[in-house]
Amino acid sequence: MNLLWVMPAKGVDVPHGHDIRVSGARLALGDDPPVDVLGGVDLRAPVGEVTAIVGPSGCGKSTLLDAIAGLIPLDAGTADAGHDVALMPQRDALLPWLCLEENVALGARLSGMPARDARDAATRALQRLGLAGFARHYPHALSGGMRQRGALARTLLSGRSTWLLDEPFGALDALTRSEMHAVLRQLHAQEGPTILLVTHDIAEAVALAARVLVAGPRPMRIVHQVPVDPDDAAGTGRAVLDALRAAGAVA
Amino acid sequence: MTTAEARTREAPATAQPARRTGMRAGRVAVALVLPLLAIVAWQVAVWVASPREWILPSPAAVAQAGWDARDRLWFHAQWTVLIAVIGLALAVAIGAGLAYLIARSRVAWLALYPWVIVSQVIPLVALAPLLVLWFPPFVAIVLLAVLMSIFPVVVAGVDGLRGTDPDLVRAARGLGASEGWTWAHVRVPAALPRLFTGIRMAAVFVVSGAVVGELVASDRGLGALTRLSAGQFETAVTFAGVALLALIGLALFGAVALAERMALPWTRRATRRSS
Ligand SMILES: Nc1ncnc2c1ncn2[C@@H]1O[C@H](COP(=O)(O)OP(=O)(O)OP(=O)(O)O)[C@@H](O)[C@H]1O
Ligand SMILES: [Mg+2]
Repeated sequence: MNLLWVMPAKGVDVPHGHDIRVSGARLALGDDPPVDVLGGVDLRAPVGEVTAIVGPSGCGKSTLLDAIAGLIPLDAGTADAGHDVALMPQRDALLPWLCLEENVALGARLSGMPARDARDAATRALQRLGLAGFARHYPHALSGGMRQRGALARTLLSGRSTWLLDEPFGALDALTRSEMHAVLRQLHAQEGPTILLVTHDIAEAVALAARVLVAGPRPMRIVHQVPVDPDDAAGTGRAVLDALRAAGAVA
Repeated sequence: MTTAEARTREAPATAQPARRTGMRAGRVAVALVLPLLAIVAWQVAVWVASPREWILPSPAAVAQAGWDARDRLWFHAQWTVLIAVIGLALAVAIGAGLAYLIARSRVAWLALYPWVIVSQVIPLVALAPLLVLWFPPFVAIVLLAVLMSIFPVVVAGVDGLRGTDPDLVRAARGLGASEGWTWAHVRVPAALPRLFTGIRMAAVFVVSGAVVGELVASDRGLGALTRLSAGQFETAVTFAGVALLALIGLALFGAVALAERMALPWTRRATRRSS
């Protein structure tokens, strides 16, 4: 797929941003009894890089992203990514009553861009992501891959320099997923956002990230950090799997 | 891939219209079986038992009387429709406002919601004489219609507003949307399909409310007509009035469903695809 850079210069400044830093993050959710979800999370995701988090289901990864995005307060510790953060939820979260273009424009609207400009920017972003013919479609009339691409376009248009992606491709088939990997790699190469990518797919983490953080079961802690060796994806994958095993996350 | 997807997506739009019309006619026919059977049974029962006409007129007699009294029926029906439409509009406006307040504010939830529910435990019909005592007839009747139809609007609205898909809220908040923006642009639109379900129910109840009011407090409207005609043993006219009321309720229900289809095109296509 050929991605053309069509954003206007004023749309997104060259991302400068900010490491993502989390230290000693603790959080309990629910009332009776409270469930310890974050059990002292420490991590750093360097600016401009893709950092992946893998961990067992239900260990608290989405909760951690919410805390980093400032959507929920921590009980203890800090989670800081600057104010310049966009969070993309786990399931595709396009608003069903808006057409694709309106959904994508939302990213820019919520960053304060006037409606007309946002619309134009959305049109260009859709072209860029190969969705030009579907601007007027409602989300339910799109395939899962197209919806995720739309959600990425919206995140892109938010102009934020830090992206928190919560299992963005989890619901896609293998073929569409690898296609989306190429899309994301290209967006990252062109825009340089700091990306924290939650995934349950080790191969995906290794394929996209510069380093993989391994989370243990709930209450969540980062138990291991594996730098990705681009020349030895298989070896990196094995190292991640071993770390998950050691954490008791997989049999 | 994109073109292949485009083809699949557009396929439903080109389904043969002739076949769809045929299927729809078939569905309507199936739906009409029961009422037709009932009418036939009624007619046969009248032939067999031949009761006096002022006790049980035959369907044919009802149709004849309805036709003969069409000017009277029309005069009264206009009034009932007017009251039902005003009542429904008020029930929707007030009910949706209450729902928003109750869903949004914890204080309103605690202070109002229990009483909205308790208010429905009172048999509202029993309030009719009191309302007539306190208000001019027109106001009393509209009030009764509102009281009898507002409940499903409030309950459906509250459920809809509180049941928003958390991922939609998270998506908006994750892009920096404020709490207020999220209410206006995510929770409210997401609640509309459920709200409309409540409004459809209200459209049926509001006619009952109007009729009860007219029975008690008015010389106009189909409620008044049924009371007056039954009192004068024009039973066939009473039956015709009741049949007309059923039609009015049905029409109001249909009008709301139509408004829903136009206001929420995104749900219409979603259901068609999944059915
Ligand atoms: N309000 C709540 N009350 C109690 N427990 C909660 C609440 N919200 C979340 N949890 C629990 O917190 C844990 C972490 O949830 P979270 O969604 O962050 O996990 P996750 O790692 O993203 O899981 P998945 O891989 O399935 O997406 C879950 O076990 C969940 O049961
Ligand atoms: Mg999750």
